[in-house]
Amino acid sequence: MLTPLALIVVLLAALLAVWAAVFAVQDRAVVLRQLWGAAVVEGVLAVQAVVAIVVVLRGAEVAELATFWGYVACSLIILPLAAAWAFAERTRWSSVVLLVASLTIAFMQWRLLQVWGAQ
Amino acid sequence: MNVQPVPTPSTATGPGRVLVAVYAVFALAATGRAGFQLVSNWHQAPLAYGLSALAAVIYIVATLALARGRHRLATVAVSIELVGVLVVGAFSLADPAAFPRATVWSAFGQGYGFVPLVLPVLGLLWLRRTKPPRTPTPDPAS
Repeated sequence: MLTPLALIVVLLAALLAVWAAVFAVQDRAVVLRQLWGAAVVEGVLAVQAVVAIVVVLRGAEVAELATFWGYVACSLIILPLAAAWAFAERTRWSSVVLLVASLTIAFMQWRLLQVWGAQ
Repeated sequence: MNVQPVPTPSTATGPGRVLVAVYAVFALAATGRAGFQLVSNWHQAPLAYGLSALAAVIYIVATLALARGRHRLATVAVSIELVGVLVVGAFSLADPAAFPRATVWSAFGQGYGFVPLVLPVLGLLWLRRTKPPRTPTPDPAS
């Protein structure tokens, strides 16, 4: 259950990253439609967090539990911060921030699966 | 919003936002890693874990200083960071036994895609570009 959700997040975050990269190259600031995209990713992340809590409460073995929760919690705050900056910074640099945020999310999903399944 | 454009470039706007964002991610990652290492198995590698904690503190200071436009503090923090990644990077390769556990700065930050090596260089370049044109007001203490 956790792996497919992580793959969905990685896919969506990668799409968002490409979208943000195109905007950065075109010297455009983040637009509201991209923030809706970020909201979708955030939604899947929230579902993933709930699933993770349920699965762990049911007694699943997690290789590095503390690190795992660290990644789950930190994943949730990154996109809202990038969105806040999209409003504050109306230049291409908000697109670069969204690009960095999306790549960070994707990277953290990969690490999440690692600490989940590490033997 | 009626915010007037700032006459001197701030360290926290434009490209600076990207820098602050990446620094924030590293502050978070380094703090998480160091905190976990210190709590779980400090005795296994005190030097490496101590350096992890030091790196975490420096990333936090650099993030806050860049975000709040504290130019001099940011320059100090980023400079220490550059020296740290170079020294620890060199030592971790020359004497791997001294660093049995990885830190953010081991092997010049290889475990983090060499971002820890590139980040302070970009940071110093950015700080140079945003340097306030006027000399700071005289120190009231002197």
